Amino acid sequence: MSDTVVGFLILGIGMLVVLGVVFAISSRGGAPTARAQPPKGVHLPGPSFLPVVISVGGALMGAGLAFRGTDQLANPFLAIPGLLVFVGAVIAWVRAANHEWREAEHTSHDDGATH
Amino acid sequence: MATTTLEPRAGTYRRSWVLDWLTTVDHKKIGILYIANSFLFFFAAGILALVIRTELAVPGMQFLDQATYNQAFTMHGTIMLFLFIIPALSGFGNYIVPLQLGAPDMAFPRINALSFWLLPLGGILIFSGYLFGGAAAEGWTGYSPLTSDQYSPGVGTDLWIIGLTLVGMASILGAVNFIATIFKMRAPGMTLFRMPIFVWTVIVTAVLILLATPVLAAGLIALFIDRNYGGSFFDPSVGGNPVLWQHIFWFFGHPEVYIVILPAMGVVSEILPVFSRKPLFGYKAFVFATIAIGLLSWSVWAHHMFTTGSVFLPFFSFMTALIAIPTGIKMFNWLATLWRGKLMLTTPMLFALGFISMFLIGGISGVMLASPPIDFHLQDTYFVVAHLHYVFFGGSVFGVFAATYYWFPKMTGRKLNEPLGKVHFWIHFIGFNLAFFPMHQLGLSGMPRRVADYSPDAGWTILNVASTIGAFMIAVSVIPLLINVVATFINGEPAGNDPWEGNTLEWATTSPPPPYNFDSLPPIHSERPLFFLTHGHGHAAARPEDLEEDPGDDVERRDGLV
Amino acid sequence: MQAHPAGEHAAQVAIAHGGSGMPTALVGMLLFIASEVMFFAGLFATYFNARATSPGEWGPPAGAHELDLPLAAVLTAILVASSFTMQFGVWAIRRGDIGKLRLWTAITLGLGVLFLSGQLYDYSVLGFGIGDGVFGTVFYTLTGFHGAHVFGGVVGLTIVLARAWRGQFSARNHVAVEAVSMYWHFVDVVWIGVFSVIYLLR
Repeated sequence: MSDTVVGFLILGIGMLVVLGVVFAISSRGGAPTARAQPPKGVHLPGPSFLPVVISVGGALMGAGLAFRGTDQLANPFLAIPGLLVFVGAVIAWVRAANHEWREAEHTSHDDGATH
Repeated sequence: MATTTLEPRAGTYRRSWVLDWLTTVDHKKIGILYIANSFLFFFAAGILALVIRTELAVPGMQFLDQATYNQAFTMHGTIMLFLFIIPALSGFGNYIVPLQLGAPDMAFPRINALSFWLLPLGGILIFSGYLFGGAAAEGWTGYSPLTSDQYSPGVGTDLWIIGLTLVGMASILGAVNFIATIFKMRAPGMTLFRMPIFVWTVIVTAVLILLATPVLAAGLIALFIDRNYGGSFFDPSVGGNPVLWQHIFWFFGHPEVYIVILPAMGVVSEILPVFSRKPLFGYKAFVFATIAIGLLSWSVWAHHMFTTGSVFLPFFSFMTALIAIPTGIKMFNWLATLWRGKLMLTTPMLFALGFISMFLIGGISGVMLASPPIDFHLQDTYFVVAHLHYVFFGGSVFGVFAATYYWFPKMTGRKLNEPLGKVHFWIHFIGFNLAFFPMHQLGLSGMPRRVADYSPDAGWTILNVASTIGAFMIAVSVIPLLINVVATFINGEPAGNDPWEGNTLEWATTSPPPPYNFDSLPPIHSERPLFFLTHGHGHAAARPEDLEEDPGDDVERRDGLV
Repeated sequence: MQAHPAGEHAAQVAIAHGGSGMPTALVGMLLFIASEVMFFAGLFATYFNARATSPGEWGPPAGAHELDLPLAAVLTAILVASSFTMQFGVWAIRRGDIGKLRLWTAITLGLGVLFLSGQLYDYSVLGFGIGDGVFGTVFYTLTGFHGAHVFGGVVGLTIVLARAWRGQFSARNHVAVEAVSMYWHFVDVVWIGVFSVIYLLR
């Protein structure tokens, strides 16, 4: 078991360190840039953290399955956080999609295109 | 959000580029993420290849033990196929297909991002076996009963299963995205038979991914249940059947190899016309040949299982030989495109020509293996290793490199240095053939695959030495590519919109394109809309029929297919 | 660059909306369902192969209960009925009747939950598990993954019901309802396959 824990700590801390360094260097931010607007009438979702978050949740659940103890369905320390992250992210995704659909319905289309 | 009032400070903002890339849903950035991620995995799996070749160069165990060697070839194969070739081609598809269709993005941009991010996570899970007592070591094909918990008790195999399942889900979502985009988001005037040929290969590939990958998922889940929950799918002692794994795996596995090759064929079919200054010969025949390959690929899986004694040999041998026909049609089309063209031997063209010649060799060795009497002697020998590397590496990877040099200017706004590119190509080409051609002979003289060592009396040593030298040449050839990429980013020659005088819509916008791709679209009356835009109807072409299009067409017309 | 300025903006909008024909989201759901069909095809393949190659009699291991055909038949009736009620809901919202949509969706959801409860009850009394020989393995894998897909459908129905409750659907705009109903019909068809193969064909 301790092998597993050491392995996880290495992986997890390693990734956090790398990300932290990259973040620190890069968030010294450049000049303000304008957010691009699509052509009028074209509705596309904006940037979102949810794809990364869902992937992490899925990977945690998967790792929970792989690292299960005997007579367990999955390792609860991995699978449960993974499930929570996954479900939370799916809920957030559905709500964001809802929101966008309603916005799309209510912004006016004065371009003459039919729905 | 992009067009709505949800963003409180619409307009200008300061943003870290890490956050920008982590949260992007823009198909162009996602495409670049795919390609960059794939090349990282390419280098990792390439190092594993060098490890294998170093161990095999001469008889005797040099520096590995058998278990580590088994992990090396397993990880090499799994990573190269699932985390390099397919994602790299996916990445080019992601970047280029919406542009070639005249669309502002993919049909489902956020799911597109999700498909990408599952990849590095799945890859980390697969590789992490090394940290937990050993990675999977049963070959990328994972045959039972070797993969059972009895013979491979470590967690490495479970991590391999889980990681591959995640990667498979990413592929399936990507396939849904590509098919929906191609059917629903073509620019007006672009009927199906005016789509670029690369788009055709992508859609056929996507259909194969959509339908084959779930079968792999079913098999992987069955294997996981056997290993972890006392299942008996593949365990003969309780009524299971080990050969069942091979059936499930190869029912996926054979369409898989066409998934790997078709987009590369599409890339080559884009490049050859541009650098021969001639249209692709037989566009429609090429489309139908691609569809035929896609359909036939479902009927041949058991040619990987001839020696099990469990399959009906004549049928599978016949169907396998049949695939040579549409493939031959494509070869003919490519050669006819080159014939009497004004050839420009740029680096992408060199890799495309390399593809044709290397894939031809791989195809021939494949047809040889399609014959059971031959296959019974060559199954599980180095002949198969030679075959698969000529088609995967000589085919798909050459296609990936061709795509890299061809579309790099579009993606970055700068052209890669041509002399360096040619150095890369030639060292790579010579090294590749030196590494893999001897393997044909090694297989014919009986050297088995997946062995860590061999007898000094077998007479295989000199060919293995040659092969190892070739492998290191391939490694060395990557250096000019890396130098080229870095130097071009620092100080490369600006490319402009259309550095190659291309035919398709991606060259009708800036390099790199603006966020929503096109400020305006040219009219689309043919499969070469940009050619006609640039050259018009008065241009003196090689043959009058090259100027054919449908001038009286309604530019708003689209297929009502879906 | 020559373009058609007047028609082109409309063209851009047309592209983004997927033009005429089936809404893009529905195309996506249909494709996803195709992939799920292939997933179940793989599982069915394991069932048929196991049945064909495993020695001895094909069925639950000795000492366990026989399969409960009457219960399975009831579950089939429940699920088929729920497909009908789902379709009634779709027809209702196509007419713009969101009140009926709420009703039929709630009924469908209830039937789905009933199906799952019945399935779980069956599991609890069967007397054999996934690790009890190859029949147990393929039985639980096939019915278990089907049940998981029913659960996914139930989640989708809950979301549709919640949005219908808040009045977020109209005759013109109810893609989510159509998509979830397609998925629900798929789940039903797979069950008919599972029932026929495991309980009828044996």
